Amino acid sequence: MARLSLKSVKKRFGETEVIRGVDLGVEDGEFVVFVGPSGCGKSTLLRMIAGLETTTEGRIEIGGRDVTGEDPAKRGIAMVFQTYALYPHMTVATNMGFPLEMAKRPKDEIDRKVREAAKVLHLEQYLERKPRELSGGQRQRVAIGRAIVRQPGVFLFDEPLSNLDAELRVQMRIEIARLHSELNTTMIYVTHDQVEAMTLADKIVVLRAGSIEQVGAPLELYENPDNAFVAGFIGSPRMNFVPATVKSANGNVALVTAPQAGLAELTVTTRGAAPAAGSDVSIGIRPEHFVAADGADATLSGKITIVERLGGVSYAHAQLGNGDMLTVESRDAREFSTGVETSFGIRQSRVFLFDKQGRRV
Amino acid sequence: MKRSWRQATALFGGLAAIAIIIGLPFWWVVTGSIKLPREIIQRQPTMFPHSFTLQHFEKLLQASDFPIYLLNSVIVALFSTAFTVLMALPAAYAFFRMEFPGRNTLYRTILLAYAFPGVVVLIPLYGLFAKVGLIDSPAALVIVNVALALPFSIWMMRSFLATVPREIEEAAVVDGAPTTTILVRILMPLIAPGIASVAIFAFISSWTEYLFASVLIVSDARRTIPVGFAGIIGQYQIDWGLLLAGATAAIVPVVILFALVGRWFVSGLTEGAVK
Repeated sequence: MARLSLKSVKKRFGETEVIRGVDLGVEDGEFVVFVGPSGCGKSTLLRMIAGLETTTEGRIEIGGRDVTGEDPAKRGIAMVFQTYALYPHMTVATNMGFPLEMAKRPKDEIDRKVREAAKVLHLEQYLERKPRELSGGQRQRVAIGRAIVRQPGVFLFDEPLSNLDAELRVQMRIEIARLHSELNTTMIYVTHDQVEAMTLADKIVVLRAGSIEQVGAPLELYENPDNAFVAGFIGSPRMNFVPATVKSANGNVALVTAPQAGLAELTVTTRGAAPAAGSDVSIGIRPEHFVAADGADATLSGKITIVERLGGVSYAHAQLGNGDMLTVESRDAREFSTGVETSFGIRQSRVFLFDKQGRRV
Repeated sequence: MKRSWRQATALFGGLAAIAIIIGLPFWWVVTGSIKLPREIIQRQPTMFPHSFTLQHFEKLLQASDFPIYLLNSVIVALFSTAFTVLMALPAAYAFFRMEFPGRNTLYRTILLAYAFPGVVVLIPLYGLFAKVGLIDSPAALVIVNVALALPFSIWMMRSFLATVPREIEEAAVVDGAPTTTILVRILMPLIAPGIASVAIFAFISSWTEYLFASVLIVSDARRTIPVGFAGIIGQYQIDWGLLLAGATAAIVPVVILFALVGRWFVSGLTEGAVK
């Protein structure tokens, strides 16, 4: 168990800066998830924590110890790879015992710890098998087992579930959550799947282009995003953004209008001082936050082009006057019909305002 | 895939033609070695032997120096193979994974050395070996064979190393394995087919090497098979039976090697490692 802290950590490959000064503190026992689109540097950052990539600038501390230039094996971490990376010619038991064998632990201790880990992961009857004789989920459990036996201060997971099929992914997700609550060890988990991020994390770190966009608890990011990127990345289907203009501003209240989306006017409470009248902004509203048009604070209107009916919920995709698409969720499938100009109700408490640079205002 | 009979005929006809082209000389040598001398030199050659005799083999083993040549060849080939494999593996790994200044230049230079005809260095090497007293020594042949086989072996080994997923090595690094352990415990078992290929290549290169063996070895008792054979071909007459029997016997160690090492050519060794 250990705290982890990153202090102005940077990584350059030649001229290209892929991690641009990351500061982050992870508490002991915390489950932190790095999310972001492909190429945002989340895996690179994890590999830097592991020591598989060198750190160009800055400082990495694990358990209060500076490990920036330390060998991976001496950092007190264990890593689970996306591709499992098992040793194919060794049995499950040898695979799991390998780190202890490298640490020159006595054989009976290795045996005992492998057995303990196998029990936790329900792998007892597979100990003598080779990885190729296991299913994908079992292989990933062996990889996790190999990490557990080391009793590391920090677990690092690099997209561990993305090679599994959908059903198995759900199972393993629950398994990992259970493991975290049992072991109570600091875990850092990289994924591009925001469902994994939302369900597993104590704290989500959203990365874009090598920088942290926002850090916070899952619901905090969902309910109070700092910018349009985070707002769009967290939540599924993604948030709708509708271009609008500020009609008038008064303290932290702005009156906005978007005539091409059928929005006459809407009062929005802003975080700080409202932007000046005449500013271009965009309103963000999540598909699940639309309400019935009657009794709503305001409405957006568009022509429904496609309706996706999933049973429990339905999604209407409507085209606004300016050509932008709007996604609206409803529990009632009969509410939507294709080709009809429809009004969708919104509540001002559920609306976010972003400036032209995408910053939340 | 379902083939029409035309395709099937063309396919098997083609394969048969290739098999005949490759197999015919061997058939000729092996069958020739058991024919009576009269049948070997008769005007009308026989595809299938009409006579059977082991007299050539008897002569080969009892009245010629062949057993000594064979032993010399085996010793030189085994040592050459061992040194080639032992040196190619770490060298290939260094070129493949480790970062050091001039890595690419050095790697290309090594490949260039392979393109260099051996005969060019024959005279200087002779002078060099003469100075250090290695003329007429099997060690000289081992050195030459290893030097000639290494560039290609390194290149071959490197491409086999490239088939091992990077994550397996990284996992081993995180697990605390030092480089030598990664090489011996993780990579070597995974590229066993590659090691076997390099071994066979090195063995056969040494087994068939004629030029250096004919120049660097002086005394008859230290000759290897290819040079020894040349002695059978006299100025005025050739004992064809003996020559063919010798050629047949010379194939045997190679066949044994393939049988032993061939078992390493198991496919799907890395299966189950990743994905």
